Amino acid sequence: MTSVKKPDELAITLKALAIQKAENEKLVAELIIVRQKLAFHKVEKGKRAAELGIATKELIFQNKEKGKRAAELGIANKELIYQNKEKGKRAAELGIAYKELIFQNKEKGKRAAELGIANKELIFQNKEKGKRAAELKIANYARSLIEASLDPLFTINLKGKITDMNDASINMTGISREKLLGTDFFDYFTEPQKARQVYQEVFSKGFVADYPLTIVDGKLTDVLFNGSVYKDDLGNVIGVVVVARDITDQKRTATELTEAIVFAELATAIAEEAKSKAEGATRVAEDAVKAKQQFLSNMSHEIRTPMNAIIGFTKVLLKTDMSAKQKEYLQAIKMSGDALIVLINDILDLAKVDAGKMIFEKTPFKMALSISAMLHLFETKIQEKNLALVKEYDNKIPEVLVGDPVRLHQIILNLVSNAVKFTSKGTIKVSVRLKNEDEENVTVEFAVTDTGIGIQQDKIKDIFKNFQQASSGTARLYGGTGLGLAIVKQLVESQDGTIQVTSSVDEGSTFSFCLSFQKTNDEAEMEAKSAESDTEIKDLKVLVVEDIALNQLLMKTLLDDFGFECGIASNGKIAVDKLKDNAYDIILMDLQMPEMNGFEATDYIRNVLHSDIPIIALTADVTTVDLAKCKVVGMNDYIAKPVDERLLYSKIVGLVKKLSPSSLVASAMNATDDTKKLKCTDMDYLNHRTKSNPALMMEMIALYLEQTPPLISAMNRSFLEKDWNSLYSAVHKMIPSFAIMGISIDFENMAKKVQDFASTQKQADGIHDLVIKLDSVCSQACCELEEELNRIKNAS
Amino acid sequence: MNTINKIKIFLVDDDALYLKSLEIEFLQHGDFIIETFSTGELCIAALSHNPDVIILDYLLDGIDKNAMNGIDTLDKIIAYNPDIPVVMLSAQDKIDVAIDCMHHKAFDYVVKSETAFMRLQKIITTIFRYKKLEKELNWYMDRM
Repeated sequence: MTSVKKPDELAITLKALAIQKAENEKLVAELIIVRQKLAFHKVEKGKRAAELGIATKELIFQNKEKGKRAAELGIANKELIYQNKEKGKRAAELGIAYKELIFQNKEKGKRAAELGIANKELIFQNKEKGKRAAELKIANYARSLIEASLDPLFTINLKGKITDMNDASINMTGISREKLLGTDFFDYFTEPQKARQVYQEVFSKGFVADYPLTIVDGKLTDVLFNGSVYKDDLGNVIGVVVVARDITDQKRTATELTEAIVFAELATAIAEEAKSKAEGATRVAEDAVKAKQQFLSNMSHEIRTPMNAIIGFTKVLLKTDMSAKQKEYLQAIKMSGDALIVLINDILDLAKVDAGKMIFEKTPFKMALSISAMLHLFETKIQEKNLALVKEYDNKIPEVLVGDPVRLHQIILNLVSNAVKFTSKGTIKVSVRLKNEDEENVTVEFAVTDTGIGIQQDKIKDIFKNFQQASSGTARLYGGTGLGLAIVKQLVESQDGTIQVTSSVDEGSTFSFCLSFQKTNDEAEMEAKSAESDTEIKDLKVLVVEDIALNQLLMKTLLDDFGFECGIASNGKIAVDKLKDNAYDIILMDLQMPEMNGFEATDYIRNVLHSDIPIIALTADVTTVDLAKCKVVGMNDYIAKPVDERLLYSKIVGLVKKLSPSSLVASAMNATDDTKKLKCTDMDYLNHRTKSNPALMMEMIALYLEQTPPLISAMNRSFLEKDWNSLYSAVHKMIPSFAIMGISIDFENMAKKVQDFASTQKQADGIHDLVIKLDSVCSQACCELEEELNRIKNAS
Repeated sequence: MNTINKIKIFLVDDDALYLKSLEIEFLQHGDFIIETFSTGELCIAALSHNPDVIILDYLLDGIDKNAMNGIDTLDKIIAYNPDIPVVMLSAQDKIDVAIDCMHHKAFDYVVKSETAFMRLQKIITTIFRYKKLEKELNWYMDRM
């Protein structure tokens, strides 16, 4: 910048120089003036000449000085000019340098800009590189994922050539990647045509899912073909990605499943068949059992009735005067008869046990007394055979136990009679030992040991079978039916007991069994005691209701023997009439009679006459449900025909004693009250069914009330008109309602009887009564239900 | 549960009391749709409701002699759709009745008794098990 200033300074200097020149010229002019003055002055100066000479000299000197100075000024001027020139040069040089500088600066700016651009470029390139690297990474990852797939993956181009695949494809086809590439995709399937179709479908639909195909490899792999098209950036389809899923396992499973189902179906069919066969067999077996029981039951009835007469009259006859020979024959008849009855009873017992009808009582009894009394029976026989009877009784056994003494008797009786039968010398030992005792129960072990013929080991398991004896010769030698032990086994096992046998041939046998009994504090009812009161009870009036003349006579003879007065009625109706006019202490009632049978008569006596007179049923048939029915209609006891004299006596006496005349009246009164109060309906079932929902209960009751009266009138009318079909329908429809309304099953059974009658028109006796009873019970039920309905209404 | 999956049962009996008690039993022991009919005619008229099971009394003409009896009703039902399982109910435990019912293609025969309802329930269960098996079988047959 100084160089820029310099020219100015130079100019200034120049100006100054110019000014100085003008000064100088002025000075010169002044000098001239001065000379003129001098000249003037010379004259003047003549004096002053000296002074002038001196002044001139001075002036010359000063001129000289001034010349000198002027020269010096010129030099200085020259110098200045030169310097000015130099300065100008310099200034120009500076300008050039300045321009140069500016240019250079411009250049530098350009370079800098270029560098900036280059820098940007670099940054951009770096970014690109980063992107590329990331993309590469992703691509590698995707590839590894594809390779990881176990399902073959292919890509195919538009021409159907394979463009890429994963390792799974190579493994499955068993062909190397290089060989696969570019080959025709369709060649790898069993049906290339089908594969091509799929391929075309992919293009038309954009995808195909689960298309079954078979890949040709070493072993033909079934696959599900899934394909979808893939597109480039512009959305143009450039090929297809195919996944072929190996479904060999699934297929195999499916096949196995199908097979399994077929097998299962077959098995089911077989099982069904077997089931129906088994059901058929069961039915046959059940029918057989029923038939057998029916047969036995009938047989017992048919045989017992005449036997009753035979034995009874034999006994009666034995009491008359006759010759010894006659007596002997009669004894023979009686013995055979007794044996026959025993056999029949045995068979009946077995049948009962088989049919599950054997009912074990639970009554308190004195075990020790019971056993001794029973063994007492054998004393004669044992003495006859010259045997010894040893009784071992464990005193720790409680005196009174609860169980079924009759069945226990039967068991021991059978065992002891066997022992006596098969022993010709030695002893028979009966031992009763306490085996276990707890709070409630005792287990007692009974053993009967003999020194008889014994049983071979291999026969032991047979002896408990029906009609089996240890050897076929046994029956010939010793008699017997082979039922005894079968019954014993059944009786013991039905009471949850066990029976065991130890035996050796010619040395003897031991039969032992264990039974449980409940403990009790009750007094045992002793039948035997009635014997003591024999004398006290005499002159009883007994009404025998029995239709068979022979039996009437037999009963009369027996009762005469006891010293009782006897009235005979040949059917229920007559009995009822007789009861109205005469007083009796007890009734012996046969069950099967014409006109009015034993049940009807009893029912009438209890419910119409309101009498509490003891009634003993006489029945020849103890296997059927009759016994339960006896109790239901209100009989006090029963006795099986043929009648055992002693049993009959004790039962009669026992019952009469129980009801002393005073108590008789009282209980008769009670009975009357009870019947009046007794409701025939019971809401238990309905409560249970409807879960005590009052609305439902009312609905049901209302339905009953609506439906039943027309049914009753239909029943009555059709019965009178003998329109059996209508009677059948009416009663038929009535049947389910009994159970629903909780009316006793007896009425339902009655209705069924009426229904049976209506369909078969057989066994007409008593049907009228049944119809009347049904009428009355249904009417009563209607009344009760009316009340019940009101009660529920009011309650809700 | 929606109505589509419920089992629809027709109960047909001219004994209104028994009909009602059966209905109560069914409603209390399962999730059923129950329609009751006192005559065979009414039942047939309602077959378009597509019952899954029909429980039909054998003796429908007991009171009204002109009513259609159980067997005729059964025949009509089977004619309408042989796939509807019909269980016959009867108060009589008679082999001829049972055979008669079976000859007319009843699915089963149940005697009216205390256990009748339990039997019916079991039969219904069996019916649906059969149906399911059949369906499965058909499915697999198709597959094969």
